[in-house]
Amino acid sequence: MTVTEAKTMANDAKRPGAFGLIGWPVAIVMGSAMLLGGFAGYNQAAIDNGEGPLPVWAGPLAALAFAAFGLAFYLRRYAPMWRQWSPRKRRYWLTLAFCGAIGGVVGGWLVIDQPGERGLTEMLASGALSPGFAIGAALLWTAGLAVGMIFYHRTIDDHEERAWLWAGVAGWYAFIFPAPVWWVLHRAALAPPADVMLLFCLSLIVNAVVWMWLKFR
Amino acid sequence: MDAILDNQLKVLRAMRNWSQAELADRLDVSRQAVNAIETGKYDPSLPLAFKLGRLFGLRIEEIFDDGHGGKDDGE
Repeated sequence: MTVTEAKTMANDAKRPGAFGLIGWPVAIVMGSAMLLGGFAGYNQAAIDNGEGPLPVWAGPLAALAFAAFGLAFYLRRYAPMWRQWSPRKRRYWLTLAFCGAIGGVVGGWLVIDQPGERGLTEMLASGALSPGFAIGAALLWTAGLAVGMIFYHRTIDDHEERAWLWAGVAGWYAFIFPAPVWWVLHRAALAPPADVMLLFCLSLIVNAVVWMWLKFR
Repeated sequence: MDAILDNQLKVLRAMRNWSQAELADRLDVSRQAVNAIETGKYDPSLPLAFKLGRLFGLRIEEIFDDGHGGKDDGE
């Protein structure tokens, strides 16, 4: 290895990672949502035990204070790095942060929406949801995905676009191969009814694995 | 998938003492894109190839080699 190559590799190693840039905002949003859920759960438990609940504004105030503190920390740490980036790169990470925040809100809302004691599988897969959450989550998913994808496709570079397209094809194959097979087997009473969410998850996992392989290998 | 071209990107970058991230910033692409081109896992699009040519002050065929030595198949 030449001196130049070693120096170049060292420069790459010193470069601060970008994961914190998106990871912290997502963590702040999720932390605020969990704090809100914690206060709501405490109040519900207090009511169930015949005790007086905390004031209604206590949870939102604590969540807002947490978010403000987290945001101040984040801006202090990442503002200089953020300013050095190109507009395309800033829009790219903003888009990922936006999608992560939507996911955090839906996830936090799902946790808050759960009645009483419920296992993880029941919460994520089979348990009943309130109509308010179902409508809200459906709207957030549809609108968030549409807006996020528009910005995503306008900000990714050639390399990532190629990864995205091949990952999309792989995800599609992961759906069109098993879905009809499962369906005809079920019609012959050889398999249980086709589970659309299972097929969706399989397609999503294949899509994510191929995207990460092509992007980061 | 496309045929992968040989390229001089790593050498040209090292001559300027740029890291992959620095080159990526100059091209306004991700560091992974630069790494994928350098290691021959990905051929850049024509606009990106031209951008590389302008950045290094070279013609595209001076950076990328399709194995024909700059000659047409008919020659």
